[in-house]
Amino acid sequence: MAHHQPAEAGKGWSLAGREALQGYLFVSPWIIGFLLFTAGPMLFSLYASFTNYDITSQMAWIGIHNYDTMLNHDPLFWKSLRNTLYFVVVSVPLQTAAGLVLAVILNRKMPGIRLFRTVFYLPSILSGVGVYVLWMMLLSPSAGLVNLTLGWFGIDGPAWLTDPAWTKNAIILMKLWGAGSMMLLYLASLQGVPRKLYEAAELDGAGRLRKFWHVTLPMITPVIFFEIVTGLIGGFQIFQEGYVMGYGNDPGAPMNSLLFYNLHMFLKAFKVFDMGYAMAMAWFLFLIVLLLTLINLTLSRFWVHYEGGEQ
Amino acid sequence: MNMTAFSKREYPSGQARKAAFFALSRRKPLSDKLMTLFMLLLMTLIGVMMLVPLWWMISTSLKSMREIMAYPPTIVPEHVHWDNYIHAWQKGHFGRYTLNTLFLAGIGVLSHVLSNTFVAYGFAKIRFKGKKLLFSVMLGTMMIPSFVTLIPQYILFSKLHWINTYLPLTVPGFFGSAFQIFLVRQFFLTIPNELIEAGKVDGASHFRIWGQLMLPLSLPVIATIAIMTFQGAWNDFTGPLIYINSESLFNLQIGLQSFKSTETTQWHYLMAGSVIVLLPVVLLFFLFQKYFIEGMNISSGTKG
Amino acid sequence: MPFMSLQRLKKSLQLGAVAALVSMLAACSGTSGGPAAAGDTAAAAANTGSSVSPEGRVVLNYWTWWGSETRRPIIEKLVDDFNKSQDKIYVKHTYYPYSDIFTKELAAVSAGDPPDIMMNDINTVQQRASKNQAMNLSKYVERDKVQDRFFPELWNTVLYNGDPYALPFNTDTRMMFYNKDDFKNAGLDPEKFPDTWDELEQAAQKLDQKHGNTYTHIGYSPQFNSDWTLLQLNFDGGRNFFDENGNPVVNAPAKAEALQYILDNAKRLGQKNIDAFKADFGSQQANPFLSGKVSIWTDVTNFYTQIRDYGEGINFGVAPLPETTEGAGHWSVGGGFVIEIPYGAKHPDEAWEFLKYMTDVEAQTYWAEKNFDNVANVEASNAPELQSNLVYKASVDNLKYTKLTPNPLNAPDYMNLINPQRDTIMLGQTSIQDGLNKAQADVEKLVSGSK
Repeated sequence: MAHHQPAEAGKGWSLAGREALQGYLFVSPWIIGFLLFTAGPMLFSLYASFTNYDITSQMAWIGIHNYDTMLNHDPLFWKSLRNTLYFVVVSVPLQTAAGLVLAVILNRKMPGIRLFRTVFYLPSILSGVGVYVLWMMLLSPSAGLVNLTLGWFGIDGPAWLTDPAWTKNAIILMKLWGAGSMMLLYLASLQGVPRKLYEAAELDGAGRLRKFWHVTLPMITPVIFFEIVTGLIGGFQIFQEGYVMGYGNDPGAPMNSLLFYNLHMFLKAFKVFDMGYAMAMAWFLFLIVLLLTLINLTLSRFWVHYEGGEQ
Repeated sequence: MNMTAFSKREYPSGQARKAAFFALSRRKPLSDKLMTLFMLLLMTLIGVMMLVPLWWMISTSLKSMREIMAYPPTIVPEHVHWDNYIHAWQKGHFGRYTLNTLFLAGIGVLSHVLSNTFVAYGFAKIRFKGKKLLFSVMLGTMMIPSFVTLIPQYILFSKLHWINTYLPLTVPGFFGSAFQIFLVRQFFLTIPNELIEAGKVDGASHFRIWGQLMLPLSLPVIATIAIMTFQGAWNDFTGPLIYINSESLFNLQIGLQSFKSTETTQWHYLMAGSVIVLLPVVLLFFLFQKYFIEGMNISSGTKG
Repeated sequence: MPFMSLQRLKKSLQLGAVAALVSMLAACSGTSGGPAAAGDTAAAAANTGSSVSPEGRVVLNYWTWWGSETRRPIIEKLVDDFNKSQDKIYVKHTYYPYSDIFTKELAAVSAGDPPDIMMNDINTVQQRASKNQAMNLSKYVERDKVQDRFFPELWNTVLYNGDPYALPFNTDTRMMFYNKDDFKNAGLDPEKFPDTWDELEQAAQKLDQKHGNTYTHIGYSPQFNSDWTLLQLNFDGGRNFFDENGNPVVNAPAKAEALQYILDNAKRLGQKNIDAFKADFGSQQANPFLSGKVSIWTDVTNFYTQIRDYGEGINFGVAPLPETTEGAGHWSVGGGFVIEIPYGAKHPDEAWEFLKYMTDVEAQTYWAEKNFDNVANVEASNAPELQSNLVYKASVDNLKYTKLTPNPLNAPDYMNLINPQRDTIMLGQTSIQDGLNKAQADVEKLVSGSK
């Protein structure tokens, strides 16, 4: 901690002041980049959310009209928000856990471990429409591999992508398959756990589970926290899956069960050119996610363990 | 340095060490071997599931279009068409596009590693006023979907006369990305502050501590963001498509798209091209994982 | 601490920083430096050996999504011929992937730097016209009188407030492809496709083949590559979801009858069986008609090329969609693309010359012949070399029954309100009438809200 440092007086700057100056210097690239590339477009979109902006022909101030339409006159708005919330609530914890389990399994010395890690990571490299097409085949109710496998265990698999009650679960399942990218972060963070801690725990007679619970888990809580925060932010932005995997090529079909918030926003922005409305939606979502993230940050004090201490 | 903090636990008395050694060696053969076998089986099972799409890609890439169109679909190609790969490579202009993509990915990795570790150090290890607010704003930038800022950003780059250059795709990387800054910060926070204090006592500036202490200690996370950035740039489609107007500046993902069309998709070439594009990332991960998953064994030790 | 690796890391980071700087400089010099310079020659080589140099000419940027190796040579041949035909204009064709090309164009238009010529969807011309995304072409059309080249249905679709904002380029129409051998084997006349929907359903039953409880072969389902959106227009005398005054008619009786027809068929076959067939072929690779699993298949003219290339000598016929009762009309739905000048383009006069060229008989005939597309030019469509193909001839005949379904300006996304109600009805969660009434109310609300 900084307070027991010998004071170096007489240079015009207090120690804390010079420290702070260096702090600003270090974060300055981001601040400059933010001001140059991000702040302008973000403020623009905030302003445009109070206009009838359609990208190419008009941008007149209409007050809170977009927000009013959104909250009071657009049934699809609430539908899409509910769809997205369902996805986030189920998918984020599942993915966080799956990534962690994979990482713990793969964080050991055994034959072929590098190959296994590569294979498990593979789905997160595969991208694009090809993957969606493939999953549409795998999830086929009668001949798909998923339901065939379920059939071996005597389970009559659902009509994943045609039954509106199951479509979101189908997407969640598909996303779970790509948990390898999360695994990567956990694996990297597991390397940071000093071996001495395990040895000390072993000396205390701790078994496998207790070591995991008392040594491994606390040490990687910073990354778990990262996964939850970014997973939440990313989860709210899901939309391509609903666009591409909609039943019969209709975005969000069947019964708008895959009409995610951002898909609705995207369709408004680029199919109807109601960009002002889309931007209002974006800022409303921003508020929701910001609130959740701040709650997350506050709660993190109780369970995230920073070995270095949080400054 | 912090070594004193650990040395007591690291070097217990001779007797205790002996006891621990026997305890370990007695436990190992039984439970560990069984456990390893079980894990091996489990991982093979899940691994096969993971590989299904890859198999589908590879098998489609080796079929003729006629066989692809046949029903029921064949699992193993009846006639293997290696020439699909040559065809895809040539018709997709992959030679040119691989160079372009490598260039973009290379700059991306360098810029991201430098800027994000730098900024993250500031957020993790230096005390200054307004840090929490700045950090929150930074997280906030991740919450606005990119297509909402796409148009204003395009207009901005157009005013700068950056359209049809790589500048919109490379320059922002030097100013950090919120996601990666956050990630690196999380890792930096796990590194004991005593290290930094010790460095400061020795008269090192924060700049030196960042470059000579934090970076070497953070190889796993550096490798992680390097892989992420490489993969992101390698698979980037929207960025180049929106900002590039000359086909000679296209990247691999746009090249791949040319096999798709509104009428009939040339699946065999599309999949051959996809495998070509996929391979470098897989190889990179396979070969380099020891640097970020096993690389730290010597310094901090891994549970093996 | 691993001393060696630390040293190496420092070294590699220093090297890296230098490399980054060098590449930055290369990138900063934009198109004239770094890999870009080398790239220009590659691009030149990639183009189909154009013999004309752009020097001293007005260069026009022309964007399309025709980058596949079947379509690209065709579009580039047309461009090349145009460049050779005169010495003032040079058209430069650039390919961008479909769908994303429209986002790119939108961004470019908004920044005031659009391409000079653009292909686009015919059903959204009026939307783009109203939003200042496409240029008003009336002064050119008045001068050059090109409107008579086109099928009237197509021409009407490019008009906004009476002024043209694009020229129709190609089009399509949905027809019935059927397997003549299947017809023969089922005791049906292979030369006579059912005339009414009821006859079709009867014929389809004879074509089904069952093994136990599962179908091994299905004669016809209106859900195969087709939909209520097509059938409702056919059942309703060629009228889409809006009447001539622009009022929504989603719950009109004919729409309900079309939905009932689909439901009856699904009830007979079992929706599960239909879904299984659809899912098996959902990958867009294998096609159930080409694989002999389905006898009757709805598709556009261009489907002929797939039969030709992958159909294994299938003995097929083509017919218009059935009608509800004799004389009601074999109505079908079509689409298509237009060629237009984006709003704010710098060289509209020169671009217009290219638009004219691309929609004239010669270019249109070439396009139709090479791609087996229906084209917008009437004379080209009737060219003897095209009419000699029976499928092509049938498709041109079918155009007079074919309606386009342009997005209404006051409710461009109305289908997002209708589709979920259709799904609800199809899943049996609501009655046809209740569902359609709900859809009608939703669309009415959307229309009134935009006023």
